[in-house]
Amino acid sequence: MEVISSVETFNGSKVASPVETVLSVRQVKVVFSGFQALKGVDLDVGDREIVTIIGPNGAGKSTLLDAIVGKSPVASGHVYYHGKEITNKSPYEIARMGIGRKFQNPNVYNDLTVFENLLLALKGSHGIMSSIRAKLTQAKKEKIKDVLDRVGLVDKAFTKVSSLSHGQKQWVEIGMVLAQDPTVVLLDEPTAGMTPDETHMTGEIIKSISKTHSVVVIEHDMEFVKQIAQRIVVLHQGAKLTEGTVSEVQSNPEVIEVYLGRERIDAAA
Amino acid sequence: MTQVLGRLRRQSIIPINLLITVGVILLILVLFPLLAGPFQTNFMAKLLLFGVLAVSLDLVWGFTGILSFAHGVFFTLGGYAMAYYLKLNLSASANTYGGTLPDFMVWNGLKELPWFIAPLQIFPIAMAAMVLVPAGFAYIIGWFIFRSKVSGVYITIITLAISSALTTFFVSQQAYTGGTNGITDVSKLSLFGLEIPFLGLYYIILAFTVFVMATAWWLTQSNFGLILRSIKENEKRISYLGYDVASYKIFIWTLSAGIAGIAGGLFVPLNRFISPVYLAVAFGTQVVIWVAVGGRGTLLGPFIAAILLGQVQNYADRVTQDWQLFVGVLLLVVVLFLPDGLMGLVPKKFRLSDATRLMGIVGTNPTSGFVQPRLFDWYTPLRSLVTTLTGFVSSGLRSPRPTQDEADRMLVGKPNANSVRRKL
Repeated sequence: MEVISSVETFNGSKVASPVETVLSVRQVKVVFSGFQALKGVDLDVGDREIVTIIGPNGAGKSTLLDAIVGKSPVASGHVYYHGKEITNKSPYEIARMGIGRKFQNPNVYNDLTVFENLLLALKGSHGIMSSIRAKLTQAKKEKIKDVLDRVGLVDKAFTKVSSLSHGQKQWVEIGMVLAQDPTVVLLDEPTAGMTPDETHMTGEIIKSISKTHSVVVIEHDMEFVKQIAQRIVVLHQGAKLTEGTVSEVQSNPEVIEVYLGRERIDAAA
Repeated sequence: MTQVLGRLRRQSIIPINLLITVGVILLILVLFPLLAGPFQTNFMAKLLLFGVLAVSLDLVWGFTGILSFAHGVFFTLGGYAMAYYLKLNLSASANTYGGTLPDFMVWNGLKELPWFIAPLQIFPIAMAAMVLVPAGFAYIIGWFIFRSKVSGVYITIITLAISSALTTFFVSQQAYTGGTNGITDVSKLSLFGLEIPFLGLYYIILAFTVFVMATAWWLTQSNFGLILRSIKENEKRISYLGYDVASYKIFIWTLSAGIAGIAGGLFVPLNRFISPVYLAVAFGTQVVIWVAVGGRGTLLGPFIAAILLGQVQNYADRVTQDWQLFVGVLLLVVVLFLPDGLMGLVPKKFRLSDATRLMGIVGTNPTSGFVQPRLFDWYTPLRSLVTTLTGFVSSGLRSPRPTQDEADRMLVGKPNANSVRRKL
C-alpha cells in the first residue's frame, strides 16, 4: 500500500482520486514516425470507477489504451498499475497483472465457439504445461456460465462466433474481458454497430461490471455516455482538454468548440 | 439451457463414428504385412513415417499457422543420427575397406573417426541425438524467429533458406557427411544384440505412428490445442489475454521437429541410406503438399494424404515419369477449390479435429450439470438408422428421409420430447 501512496505524491492531477488510484498514466507521449499521437496525457482511474473518454476522431483515445496495454510503445512518460510501473511491458505481462482490453472492432475468435472464446480468456495460469494438463473444472464452467449470464449469451454458448451478429460479437468480447477477471477493464467503443436496444443493454452490463471492476470506456454516442458516465475525460489532438461530470463537460465552451459544437453543426446540417 | 444440453447430446455421438474410422484404418495397417508382400510392407512402413512427418508439420502449420519448408530438414537430421550409428556398427567384413572407418571417410582421406561423430557409435547416444539434434536445432531457430516477432511469410522464407543452406553444407562436407551420396549401405538395426527382423521394424514403426497420432490428438484437444488455434487465427488478441505467444510457438515448433527427427531416424533402417535429397527444398515441399492436400488442422488428413500420394507415386512412376505434373494439378485444385483439403470432402463427424474440439468440451468432465456428455451413444445412431430404413419402407421409397417428428412417431408412437423442445 505504501507504493500507492508514493504515486499519490507523484500525482499532480487536478481531479482528486475518488477512492484509491488503481491505474495512473503520467505525461505519456506516443509517437508514430514523427507524428505525436499523444502529447503527454495524464489519467487516473480509481477503484470501481467508470471513466469515459470522449473526443473527436484522431484525438488519441485508442492510442491511450494501446499505450496502457503495451501495444503502442510509450516514448516518454509512465504508466503505473497499483503503484507499480508497467510502462512498455509486454502485452501478455500487463494482461496477467490484471488489465483487460476490448478492442474497437470485435476482436474475437470467429472460428471458435462462444464457450471456447471465454475458456481461453479465463483467468488462471497461462503456462504451456498447465494448458496441456488443464481440466474443464466445475469452477471454470460456473465462471463461464456466470459470464454468459451477464452478457446474455447463455443459449449461444456452443455456437461458432462467426454466426453471431455484430452486437453479439461485441458482447462476446466484453465477456472475454470479464472472464479474464481483470482489475481494470478497458473498453474501446463497446457499442459500435449496436442497435439502440443493444446499446442500452451494454450500458447496463457496464454499470454492473463497475460494481466490481474499474472501467475505462471510449465512446462516441452521447446518449450512451450519459447512461453510464461518472467522470468524463475529453481528449483533443493527443492532449487532455478537460475532465468532469457530464454537465460540466457539456457546458465547457472549449469542448463545445472542438467536439460537441461540431456535432451540433453536423446534426443541424 | 435444455437447448444447450440437447445440442451437446446430439454432438456427442461423433466420437463413435470416428472410433470406427480410426479402428478400421488401424486394423488394415496391423494386418497389412499379412496381406501384402515384403516390398509393399517395406514401402508402407516408409509411408507411415512420411505420414508422421506430415502430422508433425500439421501441428505447426495446420494448427498454429506457421508454414515451414524445413520439416524435411528435421527429418533428415534425425536420419543422419541413425545412419551414423548404423554405419559405425557395420562389421569389418561388411565394410568396403574393412576396419571400422566408414567407406566415405576412407576415400576422402580421413584417418580416424572425427570426435563429434564418434559418440554416435553408442546406441543410447545415437537415439538421443536422433531427437535432440533436430529438436535443439529447431529450438535455436525458433527462439530467434519467434522471440524477434518474425511472422507470416517471412518465417516461411527463413525455412526455405535453412533448407537450401543445409543441403549445400551437407554436400560440401563430403568427408564427414558422405556428400551427395549421403550415408549408404548401413547395417541392419539391432536391439540388445538381436537383429530386428523386417516385420518387427514394421510394427515398431506402426506403434510409433499410433503413439504420435494419439499424442497429437491429445495435445490438440487440450486447452493447449485451443490456444494454438487461437494463435493461428489472431495471435495479437491472445497475448492481451495473458498468453506468451512466442513460448507456445517455440514449444510446438521444437516438439514437431523432435517428432520429425524420430521419423527420420526410423526411416534409415528401412531405406538403408540417407542423403541430402531429404534436406532439399523439394522434399520439404512434398511434406507441405501432403498437409495441404490432406487438409490443414485435421491430423488424419495429412497422414492419409502422405500414404495415398506415396502409393499413387509408386504406381504412376511405372506409367510415366511426369506423374509429378498430376500431383501439381491436384495441389492447384485443392488450393483453389478445397481450402480444407480432401478432408473437407469428408463429413464433419469423421474428422479428427472437429471431434477433438467437441471432445474438449464434452468429454473432459462427465459429472457437470452444465455439460452432459454421452460419449458412447449407441442409441441415437441406431435410432436414426432404423428410422431411415423404416422411412424407406413405409413411404415406398417416396421420401427417403422422414422428418424428425415422423421418425419419432414411427419409433415411439409419439413425438419425441426433445424435438418438441427444440421447436419451442
